[in-house]
Amino acid sequence: MTDPRENRRCNKILALLPRFIENDFTPEESAEIRDHLSSCPTCQTEYESMSRLLDTLDSLPSVGVPASFKDAVMRHIPPSRTPRKP
Amino acid sequence: MPQRVLTDGEVIRTVLDGDTEAFGGLVERYQKGLVTYIFHMVHNYEEALELSQEVFIKAFESLRRYDGQYKFSTWLYKIASNHTIDHLRRQKMSTTSIQERQDNPDLPDLHLESATLSPHDAYKNKMLLVQVQKALEDLPPSYRELILLRHFSFRSYEEMAKITGMPIGTVKNRIFRARQILMERLQDFR
Repeated sequence: MTDPRENRRCNKILALLPRFIENDFTPEESAEIRDHLSSCPTCQTEYESMSRLLDTLDSLPSVGVPASFKDAVMRHIPPSRTPRKP
Repeated sequence: MPQRVLTDGEVIRTVLDGDTEAFGGLVERYQKGLVTYIFHMVHNYEEALELSQEVFIKAFESLRRYDGQYKFSTWLYKIASNHTIDHLRRQKMSTTSIQERQDNPDLPDLHLESATLSPHDAYKNKMLLVQVQKALEDLPPSYRELILLRHFSFRSYEEMAKITGMPIGTVKNRIFRARQILMERLQDFR
């Protein structure tokens, strides 16, 4: 049977994971979370899943822009008042 | 001798001095990031192009009000954020879902770019992207916006606060919550 205290501890750690991943804690707080992760496979798995999600979000490809995009914008911009510098 | 690339501030001064064509340099510099950001907000490529165009035109029209103490890109994204959220409000979130687009071969391709991936990895990435986009689409716009600013535009929390007009603490809490929601919805990551 699962220890309710351990359950509460896991819930607390899981709630802190998003901030932990962003290094938003003091070194002491981070060390406490790391200690728990090293001894709790469930929380460790959750941590790895979230890290993978963030890595994926960070590496998603850009959307292409048609070559005509700039010209389409510039058609709405009044012409220059001064001659362009070479 | 190669010409030095002008900073955003220098380009803006040139534009304000009357050389309006120089504004094209700013469009070139930010079009890709802006179209990507707006595309992931509205989930419609043609709309994203149109809205991005409108954002650049608004930025040009307001350029005299630009405060040089902020990065130009932060200011530009603030305009984009307001414009896109207004658009979504007007539309009342009646956007076409990713699944509907996949099921409809007549709709345009997403024009996704991938420079370095093998065809297999590119395919996997695209499938993953569809999953992530679906999950993003289901997020409330205010959460979705923060995820995009952080992960697609790589904005700092300070910049995100300036762009959205929210306190930094709220920005952080919301983005953490948004990630938790995404985690719950993306079973394949588990």
